[in-house]
Amino acid sequence: MRLRAYSYDWIVWGLFLALPLVIFWQAATSLEEQGVAGGGPMENAASFPRLIAWLLLGLAAVNGVRIALCRISAPSPLAPTPTTRLACVVAAVFVAYLLLLPWLGYHLVTPVMMATTMMLLGLSIPVAVAGGVAISLLVAAVFQGLLNVVLPVGLFEITLFG
Amino acid sequence: MLDLLIQGAPLFFTWQAVLLTAAGIVAGLFIGVLPGLGPLMGIVLMLPVAFHLPPIPAMGMLIAIYVGGSAGGSISAILLRIPGTPLAAATLFDGYPMAQKGRSQDAIGLSIIASSLGGLLAGCVLLFFSPLLAAFALRFGPPEYAAMALFGLLTIAIVSEGSTIKGMVTGAFGLAIATMGTDEFTNAYRFTFGNFNLTSGPHIVPVVVGLFALSEVFVQIEGGDLTASPKIQRLRVSFRALRLILAHKVNLVRSAMIGTFMGAIPGAGGDVSAFVSYAVARRLAGPDEGYGEGAEGGVVATEAANNGCCGGALIPSLSLGIPGDASTAVLLAALFLLGFFPGPELFQYNADIAGGIFIAYLIGNIVLLIAGIVLVPFFGSVLKLPKAWLLPAVILLSTMGTYALQNSVFDLWVMLVFGAVGYLLRRANYPLAPIIIGMILGPVLENNLRRSLLISRDGLQIFIDRPISATILGMTGVLLAYVVITLIRGAPKAAKDEESSD
Repeated sequence: MRLRAYSYDWIVWGLFLALPLVIFWQAATSLEEQGVAGGGPMENAASFPRLIAWLLLGLAAVNGVRIALCRISAPSPLAPTPTTRLACVVAAVFVAYLLLLPWLGYHLVTPVMMATTMMLLGLSIPVAVAGGVAISLLVAAVFQGLLNVVLPVGLFEITLFG
Repeated sequence: MLDLLIQGAPLFFTWQAVLLTAAGIVAGLFIGVLPGLGPLMGIVLMLPVAFHLPPIPAMGMLIAIYVGGSAGGSISAILLRIPGTPLAAATLFDGYPMAQKGRSQDAIGLSIIASSLGGLLAGCVLLFFSPLLAAFALRFGPPEYAAMALFGLLTIAIVSEGSTIKGMVTGAFGLAIATMGTDEFTNAYRFTFGNFNLTSGPHIVPVVVGLFALSEVFVQIEGGDLTASPKIQRLRVSFRALRLILAHKVNLVRSAMIGTFMGAIPGAGGDVSAFVSYAVARRLAGPDEGYGEGAEGGVVATEAANNGCCGGALIPSLSLGIPGDASTAVLLAALFLLGFFPGPELFQYNADIAGGIFIAYLIGNIVLLIAGIVLVPFFGSVLKLPKAWLLPAVILLSTMGTYALQNSVFDLWVMLVFGAVGYLLRRANYPLAPIIIGMILGPVLENNLRRSLLISRDGLQIFIDRPISATILGMTGVLLAYVVITLIRGAPKAAKDEESSD
């Protein structure tokens, strides 16, 4: 059993093993409390999820054996590339963007996120800033101006095309 | 058949629908040209926009992206030897050698015309068979629908790329996600964890956008070459290929039919059909045609097949509600969002919508012929666009598209979570399409299974007593047996491959 060669396979295997356990736990607690964890097809809301849980358990068992015996054709090692760290930084910028979006609003946070991401991906600062602002405005014009979507206004309640 | 077109015509022939269908073709072509993106990404990004449009303009735009994106992938295969989409992988066998011989203009022209005509032929088949299949499906009751959903899900899990077991796991994962929210029979909350945002379950759009668009962005960043811009030879508008294609009419029709047939089998996909039709064309060609060295017939065969596949995939999707591939699964999701249910009811109660969709598909293919030739000079410019520009734009479009759906920041977090899940699944070589298909077919399977059991006094016997459901379940059984046999036979082979690779 080679753990490293199939790292991603093991991680995903763990996730898919946890899922049926969550289903069984919820069926035994939340659905039981609501009185829908047993009975006939009309009143048993837990029967189908339980069926899927058993299916996932069976498939996870087969898959676990296959990974353990190295009987899957393509390995999936945790092999970082030279830009893996960059991908993580971009992901962190995006998480920060999602956290700030409801508070500061679209028009304040989006150009900053776009410019930062473009800079991180290798564009020069002036190009990234101009590009970030331009794309943010274009997207806002389409969603706010054409489709009448109310983009997050934040504490300062900034809207441009509404 | 013609009734549908007549009923759909007033809905389609409005400035909005025609314009959006044309725009969809252009957008699809450009998205298809860019390696790593493709029709699915285009549909996913535009799905939230479609939600704000009337049904036919929305479906016209999405179907046009599907058609244009399927055709666009061939251009980068021809010019750069990098297929823009997996659908175009077979096109580079002869497309790239043609370009190397200074015939890139002809190769692109042939690929666009073959795609367009292949799509139109498939459209005729779609127009003929969909109403027939839908009429047959009127005999379906809950047991047949449950059996059909199970069959569709299993087929897609089996034939999707990667291993069968992994396809089945992701399909089951999709089914599990579909159980979240309020149970239709008891009104009980399932797996909502006390969060009111989950009372209707996770919306399909953030799930789709996260799995396909967001995860792709991070895979692309990890792939590097973020500011690279390839050198592309200058391209001009040329109509010469319209004359060249006449020498390949038999090949064109045959390949389009292969594509349509394979597209109609849930999960078989355009890439498989392109390889199959290429193999057939090569076998039937004379030795002087030089397949693999820049044969025009090779480009015609693959492109007619992969666009024919689009029309084929729409047949089970529209008439039975069983998606043919990931793109049609998202198209079905769009149809659901717009308030229509694919299947026989669509043809019975909303024949104008079905007709409008057919017209959109046919017109989309005609627009493809014109736009594909006229816009050739711009494709080179698009191919030069570095990822550093493209990927942030995809992130923003994904985010705002998802937000716009319900004005919900919670949906953005759902998108992020599924982006992370999609990334892990891609890295572990799990197919993603079965998740979406599981999410769509999950409620169909559960509700019809429970309804069948309510009707039946003998439990599961109802599935065997009824001939159609028994037949479908028999086919499902055969598929399962095939999976088990392949698994047993394939395991030692995989282990052997593993040892030899060491």
